[in-house]
Formats: sequence, C-alpha cells, structure tokens
Amino acid sequence: MNCEWVKENVTLYLYNELADDARHEMEQHCQRCVDCSGELESVRQFQTKMTALPQLEVSPNLLALSRVRLSEALESEVQATGWKRFVFDPTSWFRQFKFSPALAMLVFMVGFGGGIGTMYRYAGTNPIPVPSGVPEQHPEQEASIASIQNIQVDPTSNQVEIKYNKTFPETRRGNINDPVVQKLLLYAARNNYNSGVRMDSVDLLTKDASSQDVREALTYSLRYDNNPGVRLKALEGLSSAVRDDVRVRNAVLDALLNDSNPGVRLGALHALEPARADTSVRQALRQLAKEDPNDSIRTQSRRVLATMPEID
Amino acid sequence: MGHTNGPENRNPRGLMVGQSLGRVNDAVLIREAQGGNRTAFEELVRQYDQAVLRLALHLTGSESDAQDIYQEAFLKAYRNLGSFRFECSFYTWIYRIVTNLCLDLLRKRSVRKEDAPVVTDSSGEEYSLLDQVADDRSGASPERDLMRRELGARIAKALTKLTPRERMVFEMKHYQGLKLRTIGEILNTTEETAKNTLFRATQKLRAALADMR
Repeated sequence: MNCEWVKENVTLYLYNELADDARHEMEQHCQRCVDCSGELESVRQFQTKMTALPQLEVSPNLLALSRVRLSEALESEVQATGWKRFVFDPTSWFRQFKFSPALAMLVFMVGFGGGIGTMYRYAGTNPIPVPSGVPEQHPEQEASIASIQNIQVDPTSNQVEIKYNKTFPETRRGNINDPVVQKLLLYAARNNYNSGVRMDSVDLLTKDASSQDVREALTYSLRYDNNPGVRLKALEGLSSAVRDDVRVRNAVLDALLNDSNPGVRLGALHALEPARADTSVRQALRQLAKEDPNDSIRTQSRRVLATMPEID
Repeated sequence: MGHTNGPENRNPRGLMVGQSLGRVNDAVLIREAQGGNRTAFEELVRQYDQAVLRLALHLTGSESDAQDIYQEAFLKAYRNLGSFRFECSFYTWIYRIVTNLCLDLLRKRSVRKEDAPVVTDSSGEEYSLLDQVADDRSGASPERDLMRRELGARIAKALTKLTPRERMVFEMKHYQGLKLRTIGEILNTTEETAKNTLFRATQKLRAALADMR
C-alpha cells in the first residue's frame, strides 16, 4: 500500500466504503505515515465542516400535503399494465362519452381475460402473426366470465351497457422458438400456481437465456419462487450471464446471501466464480468465509477467495 | 399462486430478516398494484415517500419544487409500474425516477446560474438558509455563530458549483448515507464511476472550504 493509494481512498475510508482488509491496511499505513495521517485528518475536518450547513427536513405537514395531492392525482390516472401495453384500449380515449355503441362493440372485440393465448383471438383486425403451431380451441366448453369492467346506464332509455372479460381454455402447440410459445412460457414461470408447471417452463426458458425477457423471468423465479427446485433451475439458466449482466449478478449474490436453501446458495456461489473480481462478490465471500453457519458455504467461500489475486 | 413470497424463501440472519421481509412485502404490494389495486400502490408509496421527499427537498431547497418532483415521480411510477419486472429492487427503481427528475432540475438551474443559498416554502416565501441555523447551545459566542453562518453560506455556494451528477452522488452518499454500489445502480452506472464522482465532488468542496476553520 502506498501514499498515492491512501490519498485516493481516504474519502472512501471515512465514508465506510472500503473492504475490511483495505480498511485495516489504511489504518496501519496512517499510523506510520505522517503525511497520510494528515490527509486523513483533513478529510475528517471537511466532514465536520459540512455539518455547518443546516439540512432541511420534511415536516409532517409537507408530507401529508404531498400525499393528499398524489392521492387526488391518482384518481384520474390510468395504468399502462399487462395486456393494455399490447392491445389498444379505447375506454380511456372515449371516457367522456356516457354511452357509445361503437365503443361497446370495439371493447367487446378487444376485451379478453386470463391467458395470453386468447389475445390472438380478440386482437381486432390485425392479429399477431403466428409463424408456426396451431391453437386448439374447445368449442364444447363454455367461456367463463373473468371480470366485469364497467356498467353504464343510458338515462334516456332502459339500455344497460356492461363491459366484461371472458376466458376460454386454449392449447398452443409449436416450436420452442415460437414467439407465442415463448410468451406463454414467460407467463407460466411467474404466474402458475402449480410448481411443476413453473419448473417445466423455467427448464425450457433456460435453453436460451440470452433474451432480456427470459433473464428477467429467470431472475424473478430465482428471487421469489417458493420452490427451491425452481429457483435452482432458474439459477442454472442465469449462470452464463453472471459475468456480463450486473442485474443477474446482483440477483445471484442476493440468493447466495439470503436464500433459505443451502443447495441454492451453493449453486449461487459456484455461479458467481467467474465474477469473483467484483467488489461486492469479494466482500460477500469474505463475510461468508468468516461467519456463515453452513460448513460447505464457508469452505467453498474460502476456496474461491484463495484463487483470487491480492488487492495490491 | 406459486409466488407467495413468504419468509420461508429467505434465510433469517439478523438485519437481513428485516430487509428480506420488507422485500417480500414490496413484491406482494407491487403485484397487487400492477393488477390495478390503487390502495396497494399507495401503501407502497408510503414506504418510500418520506425518503424521496427528503432527497428532493435537499437538492432543490424548495418545498414546492420538492412537492412537484414527488408528484411527478410517483405518478410516473404508477403509470409505468407494469414495466417493472423485479430486475432490481423497487427502492432502486423509484430512486432512479426521482434522481432523473432532480438531475433535470439541477441542469436547468445550472443554466440559469442560480446560486443563492435560499429556500422557498410552500407559500412561496423565500428565506435564507442561514436563518435556519438556530444555535441554542448555551454559551455559544456570537463570533462563533457568525463564522458558522459564513461557513454554511460557503458550503451552500460550493454545492451549487458541483456538476448535477456530482451533486447527486454527494447528496446520496454524504446526506442520505447510501452505499456507492446502490448509488451506481440508481444512476445506471458502475460502482467505480460513482466512487470517482464522489472523489471529484469532495475534492472540489474541500478546495472551496480549505481556508475556513
């Protein structure tokens, strides 16, 4: 450790941003070096001086007013969520009209509920092209009502307009690269109540985790699925992206530190090896090597740390 | 559903428990809010809005500007919640929105060269930041009080000389206490870049205050 390094990092030291070993070496160096000790003291004084500027704090009144304003503004806001991002929704556009037969017909045509597959049935005049595979429909099964969107009454007559969504069971067959199949797999990975279905979908998605959508779905599964097998499978699919994608790396690091399943944690540790030069990964491994209650995690962390180059 | 996000997913280890449970609650609220549940969204807002307002207030020095940023940030979050895919924490995501709005405002201000250390409250009343310094320590000397006020004014002026990005990084590190790694994520850059920006900001501020004791 030399004085130049100390001068460049003394600010980080005082802001508690240095790794434990670097911190220790900084302290040792400053005890021996008058110049660097002076620099450390100078930065300390700077931090003390900064307290001279009073900081405005949020008054309860300001917070309350802000919340009320926001609440009022949210009354008239419409979220662009889920399928609405893909399908034109005329209801917000024609909201000022109390009754519109054209609107009712259009809503009837574009409305859908439940699975993504039905979007292709009700996508209006420009359905999304299907490159391969054929949807199978089951006409003998009746559609069920998913939700009621809106009820309006025409005051000049007894006419009632009800906008509602229906669900139809459908089956899609196609190649794994079929965009429709991909969309359904992404949906299944997050939304199905059956862990077996989620496992199957995650397994298929791991075949090609280069797409951003797939990475996001796998990251979600790794963070939030309550089945460790699904989490492990998601981890497998994300391993190749750990070195280059910082968001994937963070999710895997989080799994290493916080997952309840030791198998998933060990898997995360192995997956992080290519990124062991990352500061956060190093810090985590040091902590685990020192104090993790699981023997394997401690041993493996020490093994990976032993393969790392020295800091300086 | 398959993602109850219960605490059984997470390893209880001290402080991590609070963090993990917080994230679990967030995920549930976010999913609800994404489904159109406004109450869930407002509950989510309450978990972050005080910190957001504080950040905006520190950076703008104006209660009404801070309120505007607060409003715009959370409305933007509400409108775009559907595109939030849990690739980062909600905390990072909302802070990204707020910091971008604050950076826009700071950039506009640096063009207008506003550098007076004044604040405006919600009624539009302006007053000097120095008037906020209430020295109630017994035995405080008028001379020391004056020096402190001068130092405060010098600091306020020095902060306006930082670039918007330097100001933002310094605010988040020095006043908000965020980790540089988090700051990097929020500003969509690396931890290393955030470190360098902090270093530049502190060097500039130290130089500006060097002759003051």
